[in-house]
Order: sequence, then C-alpha cells, then structure tokens
Amino acid sequence: MRFDPALIIHHLPSILSGLSITILTWLIGTIGAVLVGFVIASARRFGPRPLGMALGAIVEVIRGTPFLIQLFLLYFGGPYIGLFLDPLPAGLLGLTVYGSAYFSEIFRGGFEAVPVGHIEAAECVGLNRLQIVKRILLPEMSMLVLPSAVNMAILLIKETAVLSIITVPELTMIVSAIGSEYYAFVESLFLLALFYWALVELCGFLGRKAEAKLSHFRLSAS
Amino acid sequence: MSHPAVTIRGLHKSFGAVEVLRGIDLDIPRAQVTCLIGPSGSGKSTLLRCMAFLEETSSGSILIDDAPLGFRTHADGSRTRLPAADIRTARRKIGMVFQQFNLWPHMTALGNVSEALKTVQKLGRREAEDRAMVQLKKVGLAERADHFPSQLSGGQQQRVAIARALALEPEIMLFDEPTSSLDPELTGEVLNVMRALADDGMTMVVVSHEIGFSASVGQKIAFLDQGQLLLTGTPTEVFGKPRHPRLDQFLETYLDRGAAMLL
Amino acid sequence: MNSWKLWMLLLQGAGLTVAVSLLSIAIGLAIGAVISAGMLSSKQVFAVPSRLFVSFFRGVPLLVQLLLIYNLLPAIGINVSSVGAAITGLSLCTAAYQAENLRGGLMSVPKGLIEAAEMAGLNATQQFRRIRLPIAFRLTLPAIINEAIMILKASSLVSVVGVVELTRMTQDLSASTYRPLELFAMAGVIYFIINWGLSFIGSYTENAIRWGRP
Repeated sequence: MRFDPALIIHHLPSILSGLSITILTWLIGTIGAVLVGFVIASARRFGPRPLGMALGAIVEVIRGTPFLIQLFLLYFGGPYIGLFLDPLPAGLLGLTVYGSAYFSEIFRGGFEAVPVGHIEAAECVGLNRLQIVKRILLPEMSMLVLPSAVNMAILLIKETAVLSIITVPELTMIVSAIGSEYYAFVESLFLLALFYWALVELCGFLGRKAEAKLSHFRLSAS
Repeated sequence: MSHPAVTIRGLHKSFGAVEVLRGIDLDIPRAQVTCLIGPSGSGKSTLLRCMAFLEETSSGSILIDDAPLGFRTHADGSRTRLPAADIRTARRKIGMVFQQFNLWPHMTALGNVSEALKTVQKLGRREAEDRAMVQLKKVGLAERADHFPSQLSGGQQQRVAIARALALEPEIMLFDEPTSSLDPELTGEVLNVMRALADDGMTMVVVSHEIGFSASVGQKIAFLDQGQLLLTGTPTEVFGKPRHPRLDQFLETYLDRGAAMLL
Repeated sequence: MNSWKLWMLLLQGAGLTVAVSLLSIAIGLAIGAVISAGMLSSKQVFAVPSRLFVSFFRGVPLLVQLLLIYNLLPAIGINVSSVGAAITGLSLCTAAYQAENLRGGLMSVPKGLIEAAEMAGLNATQQFRRIRLPIAFRLTLPAIINEAIMILKASSLVSVVGVVELTRMTQDLSASTYRPLELFAMAGVIYFIINWGLSFIGSYTENAIRWGRP
C-alpha cells in the first residue's frame, strides 16, 4: 500500500478547496436548475403555445444528450460564438442548464398531478387565477414533486464530478491529481468514492426525513 | 369407514393477537366432498390454507395420509418444523384452487397447466403439453389452450386453474371460495366441473358460499363459527330440522345463494 | 479533412458507443436480476451485501467508479483493455439501478401467484426464475428502458479512460480540426438519434410483451 495518510494532511488545504467547490457548484447549480426548471414548466403550462412547444423541444434535446457533450459544446464551442467562459462558470452554467431540463419535467408532472377538482373547488369559492396558483396549485404541487426533486438534487451531486473533465478544480479533479502525482491512484480514488457515497447517503437520509415531516401536508392535500 | 385422507387434531392458528382457529378436530373422508361453511371471519378459509401449509399453524397437527404436514409433533406435544423439501413432498398430494384464480399472467392456459410438469416433474415439453391438454379437455377448454389469462372470462380462468391443479394428479383437491370472485352467471360452469370431479371420486374440501352446492354435492358438512367447529355431519344431519340456532341465523343471510331450498 | 470523412469517423465512434452501451445494458440487467433477488432474500448473508452494492454504485459518481475500476483492475492483477474496464464499470453501475427497479417490481407481484407456484411444487429458485422475475420485468419495463437510456448517455464518460467512442472521437477530431462547435453538435445529434432508437426498441418491446392484453 503506497497510500500515506500524511498525504491527506499535507494536501488538506487543496482538498478542502476542492470540497468547497464541489458543494458550492452543487448548491448554486441545483438552486439555479430548480428556478429555471420552474420557469420553463410554468411557461409551458401558462404561456403561449409556440413558446411551450419550443421549450419542450429544447428540454427533449437536453434530456436526450449526454451532460459531457453539453459541457464540451459550451466550454470548447462557446468561444466560437463569442462565449468565453472559464471552467468554473462554464461548469455552473452547464450544470444549471442540464438540471433545469430535468426539474422542468418534474414540475410539469407536478402541475398535471394536482386534481382538476381542487382547482374547480377554488374557482367556486371565488379565488382568482393568481390566488389559485399561489394558494392551491403551488403548495399542492410542491408536496407532490418533493420526492423526485430530492432524487434529482442528489443526482446532481454526482454530476458535479463530471466538471473535473473541463478542469473545474472540484474534489474529483483535486484528488485524482494528488493520486497521480504520488502514484496512489487506487487508494485516493477509493477514499473519494467513499466520500461521495457518504455524502449521497446523507442527503438521501435528510431528504427522506424532510418528506416524512411534510407527509401530513400531502395527506391533507389528497 | 376407510382411513381419512386428512386428519386434523387440536389445530390452533393466530394472526398476532387474534386467534382465528381455536382447536379444530376434523377428519376429511376419502373420495368424498367435504364442505366448510360458516360466516365470513369464521376461519374456514384459514383452515383450508392450513391444509395446504400456506399458513403455518400455531399448534396442533395435520396429517395427510398419516404423514405430518409442515411440523412433526413429538410425544411430549412439542413440534419441529420440517424442511422445505418435505413440505413439498407432502404437498404433492394436494391440489389447490384459489378464490382469485392466481393464473400466471405471462403464460397461456396451456403454459399454466404444463408449467409444473415441465419444471418440477421434468417432463419433456411435448409430453407435458400433451398431459396438460388432457386436463384442459376435461374442463372443456381445449380450444382456449393458447389464450392468455387476460383473454379468458373469470369462469374460464377458474376452470384453467382447476386443470392446473389436476395436472399434478393430486389425491386431495382444496377449493378456496372458487366462485366468490365470479359474476353470478359464470359460477355454473365452475360448479359443474367440480361436480364432475366429485362424481369421479376425488377427495375434495370446498370452502364456499354456495349453500345449494354444499347441500347437494357435499357428503360431509362442517359448520365453523368464530374459529370453532360447531357442527359436522351429513347434509341431512346438519341442515335437517331441528337446526342449530347459529346455523339458522347464518342460512337466513344466504337465502339468495340457493339456501332457500333448505328452508 | 472533408466533412464526409468526419462523419465516417464520428459514426465509427458511435458504433463503439452503441456496442459498449448495449453490452453493459445486457450484463447490467443480468447482474441486477441476481442482486434484486439478493436484496429481497430473508438471509442476511445475501441481503446485506446486495443492499450495500446497490447503495455504493448508486452513491458514487460514475466517473469516479470508472477511474477507480480502470486503475484498480491492473493493480489487483487483472489486465483488461480500456474497453473491458469501461464495460465493467458501466455494467456494475447500471446493475445497481436495475436491481432497485426490479426489486420494486418483484415486491408488487401478487402474493397469490407465488402461492399458486408454491402449490404447484416449484422450489424457491424456480419460483423466482419462472414466475416472479418475468412478471417483475414486465411491470418495471418502462423504468428499465429509462435506465438503459441513462446508461447510453452516461457511456460518454468512458471517454476519460481512453475508449475512443463517440465523445472521445469528437474530442480528438475537434482538437485537430478546430471545429468543436459543429463537431460536438453533430455528436449531440448522433446521441439523440441513438437514444431515439433505444426508446423505439423499448416501446416495441413493451408492445410485444402484452400477454393477451389489448
């Protein structure tokens, strides 16, 4: 075993910086993806038909192609149309665009899953359109989509590792650089895998807890 | 009287804190039709499922042809569970027909009937299917052999299920409310198949709400109430007057099921 | 390089993408079926490792898995080509997802169908192979196809372990021709078409396996 624990201590600052970039890109990318995804889903539901169809086609293309290809297109192809981006902003933008397509589908499903009767009941008691969206549609929908949204957010943790390929200095890139420098590739990658595993399991655990806590809302909503 | 096909002694069965069977002693006579009747929740289906070892009994014993089913009872009354292979051997004598038919949806009628012949008895495909066809003919469904369960009516599905059980040449056939999930106009075809089977001398145990069938085809009637055997005997003994007040009460709720002829 | 030659090279890469993906999908399904049985086993010796397998391969980024396997196999004395390492990694990862899919399907097979198999004398293995698994497979087919499409897209990551499939080919070509915009767009179109083909096969299969239902 070539792996020396002192390596970790020695490289702690760069490992921590990689970790913080992983967490930050994930958080910013996920929040961005949720917001953009919600706008797309709303535009497809409430906006004019041609806009909805165009957005639907874009979502299909993003969901139908690999994330890595999208990143390469943005990072290597971007400069040819005047879009010069450093790795980190390119990665963030890519993650947001990629995630937003999936989140928009989750929200679209959520909109459709709210029973028409609930909307009709709100109309009957005299709520206007904005009130219906704010007081009925959104609260009900957010309960319905929570499990799949949590799932998608967890998926995006793992996608941040892909950003290392366009040299975003996140955890995977830092750790594999250390590993190759000291010929301790297997050991350091194994530690890296364990770290992601723990992070994903932790987020899954917290997500399930949040769902359980909110489940009484869902019961009263249905 | 010849040796009973099934001997049940001191049978208890609990689901958690609820005791469903509370000390059942019953003999199932050979080559006769025994009907288990009683109000819902009386434990009659559970008793039948115990005879197939689909439910594990809490205490007591069941002997199939003198061979213990599921548990071996020692002299001191304690029991040890028999290995799965022994349970399969004991079950080989038993055929079971379920309320919900339980036909495998991914196999045709012929596939359902020939499956165990192929996988358990290791017969060649040809021979297994030939033997399966014989059984399908017996229940009048030879021309539906290639149909999937979803393409058959409920009555036809149940007849395929009977053929599936018969293909393994059991000595005892158990029927768990075989007509209860059928539309009323489809019960006749299933009851007719069962009647023909009884005429052939098959040992049968039938849990049914068809009181008319029980009274006319059954040779032994067992009336269960709240987990206990209240009455056993021939139809004349059980249904004849004067009648046990609990049975009277029960029959009154079944006037529309052919019980009218008994009143 | 003229564009006809570029297309040919891209299609060559696409061929490898399809081959690697289809093999991984098939191997992953087979492993996934075994793992799903393990997850539902009442014996902890089978259940615990199966659950750990699923949790690990679903919890670690595929890229990290691929790098790990690519470096681990030679380190423990198994010499495989980069294609072999790629197929190993993709298969194990997709097996975890398919196992989870099939587990859900296996749990929703009606209990009565198992009882009928039990009464027909089928032993536990026969019950699983002949009754539970085929029904679970059909029940979860949409999710299984979905995962197959996911793994096809994820196969682009094997470019980092030196497999010259569609993504790596595109990278190499764009480095030599300085036309990344067109090339990656072309690659995207090819991936999209392969995906479309895969979902077509998926819905064809769904339609073909109907067991008599209209």
